[in-house]
Amino acid sequence: MSEVTLRNVSVVFDDVPALRDISLSVSEGEFFTLVGPSGCGKTTTLRTVAGFETPDTGSVEIGGRDVAGVPPEDRNVGIVFQNYALFPHMSVRENVAYGLRYRDPPGDVSDAERVTNLLELVDMAEMGDRDPEELSGGQQQRIALARALAPGPEVLLLDEPLSALDAQLRERLRVVIRDLQQELGITTIYVTHDQAEALAISDRVAVMHDGRVEQIGPPEEIYREPATRFVAEFIGDNNLLEGAVVSHTPPQVRLSAVDNQQGTTITVDSLPTESEEVTLSIRPEDIRLGDEHAPITLSATVETVEFLGDTYRVHCRWEGQSLLVTYASDSAPEGSITLGIDPEDVAVVGGDQP
Amino acid sequence: MSRWAERAALPAAVVATIATLSVVFYYPVGSVFVEAVLESGRLTADPLLDILSDPFYTGVAHHLFVDPLGIPAGVLDWITSGFPSVALGRFGFTAYQAALSTVASVALGLPGAYVLARYDFRGRRMLKSLTIVPFVLPSIMVAVGFLAMFGRAGLLNDLLGSVGLGPIELLFTLKIIVLAHAFYNAPLVTRLVTTAWESVDRRQVESARAMGASPLAAFRDVVLPAILPSLLTAALLTFVFTFMSFPIVLALGGLRHATVEVWIYARVQALDLGEAATLATLETVLSLVLTYLYLRYEARQRSTSGAGQSLLRKPLTIGWQTLRSPTRLAIFAYGIVAAVVFVGPLLSLLIESVTAPDGSFTTAYYEFLFAQQAASAVGTTKPLPAIVNSIVYGLGTLALAVPMGIVVAMLAVRGGRGSRLAEALLTAPLAVSGIIVGLGLLQTMVFGTVLFGYRLTAAGPIAIIFAHAAAAYPFVTRNVAPALGGLDSRYRDAARSLGATRLRALLEIELPLIGAAVLAGAAFAFAISVGEFDSTVLLAEGVDSYTMPVALERYVNNRSLGPNLGPATAMGTVLLFVTGLSFVVIDRLGGRWEP
Repeated sequence: MSEVTLRNVSVVFDDVPALRDISLSVSEGEFFTLVGPSGCGKTTTLRTVAGFETPDTGSVEIGGRDVAGVPPEDRNVGIVFQNYALFPHMSVRENVAYGLRYRDPPGDVSDAERVTNLLELVDMAEMGDRDPEELSGGQQQRIALARALAPGPEVLLLDEPLSALDAQLRERLRVVIRDLQQELGITTIYVTHDQAEALAISDRVAVMHDGRVEQIGPPEEIYREPATRFVAEFIGDNNLLEGAVVSHTPPQVRLSAVDNQQGTTITVDSLPTESEEVTLSIRPEDIRLGDEHAPITLSATVETVEFLGDTYRVHCRWEGQSLLVTYASDSAPEGSITLGIDPEDVAVVGGDQP
Repeated sequence: MSRWAERAALPAAVVATIATLSVVFYYPVGSVFVEAVLESGRLTADPLLDILSDPFYTGVAHHLFVDPLGIPAGVLDWITSGFPSVALGRFGFTAYQAALSTVASVALGLPGAYVLARYDFRGRRMLKSLTIVPFVLPSIMVAVGFLAMFGRAGLLNDLLGSVGLGPIELLFTLKIIVLAHAFYNAPLVTRLVTTAWESVDRRQVESARAMGASPLAAFRDVVLPAILPSLLTAALLTFVFTFMSFPIVLALGGLRHATVEVWIYARVQALDLGEAATLATLETVLSLVLTYLYLRYEARQRSTSGAGQSLLRKPLTIGWQTLRSPTRLAIFAYGIVAAVVFVGPLLSLLIESVTAPDGSFTTAYYEFLFAQQAASAVGTTKPLPAIVNSIVYGLGTLALAVPMGIVVAMLAVRGGRGSRLAEALLTAPLAVSGIIVGLGLLQTMVFGTVLFGYRLTAAGPIAIIFAHAAAAYPFVTRNVAPALGGLDSRYRDAARSLGATRLRALLEIELPLIGAAVLAGAAFAFAISVGEFDSTVLLAEGVDSYTMPVALERYVNNRSLGPNLGPATAMGTVLLFVTGLSFVVIDRLGGRWEP
C-alpha cells in the first residue's frame, strides 16, 4: 500500500503560484515521471510529496494516508537529488547508514548487513570506506540511490538524478535505475527536464507546464496523441500545422495556406466535434521523403540538411511553412522533393478531448 | 531525546534567545530610557531639557533649547565680533573628537588600502588579515600600550631622551586620543577600501584605457566610483565607533577630555544614576540616528559581483631602482609611520612589561601577576582573580553567545520576516554603547527587578556574562549566517527525508559542515568577552568580579596598587597573548566581520 495521490494541490511562493491545482495518482510499484521545462513546477511537486513544501490547498496521500502536517522525517520517502547531497564529512558507508539511525532496516538484518547489501545492489561494495569526494559523479549517484533506499522507503523520489552527468553515462545509468526499480518494485516518482529520458524510463509520464499538468499517460500515448499544443511541441521533434475543418463526415481538414497559397485538403482519422480550427501534429519520422504514392503528398523544397549519422534531418519548405523530415538514406536530398504522409500518422492535437 | 522534544527544541531555542536578549539587552537598555523620561511615575521631558539647555553639555547649542528666538541675533554678534571660538560642551566635544578621529583614520588607512590593493610584496596577505586584529584587541589594553609608548616614562620619550631630545607630553591631550582612535579604525578603512578596490574589474579599466582615457582619467572614472562608497561606509562607521568610544578616552584623556560616554561613567560612579540615564538616552538617540544613516547608505550600495579579475598588482620592490621611485619611497615612509602607530604601542607594552624603572630587565611584574597577594587589603584589585575571572566569563559567554548566535543565524538565513527580525536584533547592539548596557544591567539585575512582589537580582558575575553575551553573539551570527546560507539546503533535506528531525539535521549535518565558521565565531565571542570593558567596569564595581581589562584600568588610574605602569603592562601582555591567540584561530578558520 504505497501509492501516492495528489488532489487539487496548489503551492504559492510569495504570491507567485508554483503549482496550480495539480491532481495525479501514482499506483503501487509504478515508475512515474514528471517532465517539463525549468520552472514548470515538477520539482515543487516532488518536494511537496517529500514534505518540504506545504500545499496551500489540496491534499497529498501516501499509501492511502493523508500526510498533511506530517514532517519530512516521518513520511518514509527516499529522495535523491541532482547533486546527490552526499554528506561530505561522512564515508560512503556512513552515508548509506545514516537513515538507519532513525529507521530500522526492512527484513531481519542488522544495520551493517543492510548497508553492505545496498552497496552490493548498486555495484559499489568496494567503495564503502571512501569519502564521497573521491568518487566520480556516476558513483556518487549510485551511493545516493543506496542511501535513499537503505531505510526501506515506501516511495522513491528522484529529482533530476542524472542531469549532472555526461550524455553516455546518463543513458547507462537510467537503465540501472529502471532495472533497480523493477527489481525492488518500489513506487517511484522521477523528475526530469529531458523528454527523451522521461519516455525511455517511465511507466507513465506527466507533462507539466507553468504549474499545471498538461497530460498524463504512458510514454507512447504522450508521444503519439499529445493532448495539448505544448505537449506536442515539448515531447520529441514535431511538425505542427494549423488546419481549417472542411467537413466532419468524412473528417477533412484543409492545411492552412499561408501567404495566399492554395494549401491542400487531407482526410484524417477523426476530428473533435464542433471545432472549426485544429492543430495537426505530424512526426518527422512519419513523413516519407520521395514517396509519391502515399495517400497524402506534398511538393516541397529542401532548405537545410543536418547529417546525424544514421539519418538525415531535413528542413523542407512547403507552401511557406517549414517541415522537419527524418530521412534514412546514403545521400542527402536536395532541390524539389515530394513528401508522403499516411492519414493515421496525422494526429489532431487535443483530439480526444471534447 | 524523544522526537517530540527534538521538534520542540528549535522553536524553544528561538524563544529562549529572544527572551535572553530581552533580559540582557532590551529590558535593561529600555529601563535606562524610561528612567530618563519618568519622574516619580510621571512622563516628563524635564531631565532631557535640563541637559540640552545646560551649556556644560551642549555648549553654544544650548541656546537652541533656552532661547531659540535669540539665535539669529547671537549668530550676528558672533560674526561681527570676528568668529571667536565657541564652547562645544560635552556633546560638541564628543562629535569634534569623533570627526578628528575619522579624518585621522582615513588619512592613515587609505594609503594602506592603496598599497594592499595595488602592490605585491611578501606578507601582503598576512598584512591584510592583520587588519582584523583591532576588533579583537581590548581597547583598554591598547590604551595601556599607548601609555607605554607615549607616556612620560614611555618608550618614545626614552628614545628621544637618549638622543638629547624631549620629553614630549602627549598624555591627556586630544592628540593621543585621536591617534589611539586611528589605531583602531584606520585598519577598518584599509580593510573595507581594499576589498572594494580589489573587486574593481581589470577589464573595465582596460576598456577605458583602450577608449583613450589616461591612467588618471581611468582611475577617476572607473576606480574611484567603485571605492568611494566603501570609503564613506568606513568613515561613517569610524564616526559612530569613536563617538561612543570609552576606555581609550577614559585612560588617555581623563575627565578633562571626557566624551559623553566617559561622563556617563563618571555620573554612575558619583551615583547620579538619573543624570547618567538621561545622558545615555540622548547619546543613544544620536548614535541610533547615525547607525540608521549608515544602514540606509549601506542598503543603497549595490554589491559588487566579484566575478571579474582584479587589477594587476605591481611589485613593491624592484631592486636598487626602488630607491629612485618616488611612489615607492613614499610607501616606505608611510610604512614607517604605520609601524610606529600600530606596532609601537604593542611593542612598548611588551618591552615595558619586562623593564624596571632603571631600564634593566625584570620579571617582577609577571611575578606580581601570578603571586597570591594574601597581604592585600579588602577591595584591592588582585591580578590572579582577574585572569581567572576573565577566562571563566569568556567560557560562560561562549556557552550563551554561541547557541544564541546560531539561532539568530538560522532566523537570518530563512528569509522573510524572520530574517528582518534577525537583522534588527543584530544591529541594535551596534548602536547602543556597552556603558549603557552596563548601566541598564546594573539597574535591572544587580539592584534587582520587582516581579510579582519578589525582588529578582543577579550577582555581578551573572550580569557580566549576560552583558558579554549580548555584545558577543552578533559576531557568532556574522560568521555562521553566511556559512549556513551558503550551505546547499539539500544536505538538510536529504537528512530529513532519511528520518532526521530539523534539530538532528542541524546538529549532525549542517553544523559539522560549517564547523570552521562556528569556531571562528566562537573565537570572536571569546575575544570580545575577554576584552570587554565598557559594561564590565560598571558591573564589577565594588565586587570581586573584576576582569583583566577592569584590573588594567585600575592599575593605570591608581598607581598605589602597583609600583608603576609595570603590572598594567604585564597584564596587558597577557591580554594581548589571549586575544592574539583568538586572532590566530579566527584567521585560520577564515573568520569574518563585515559591519
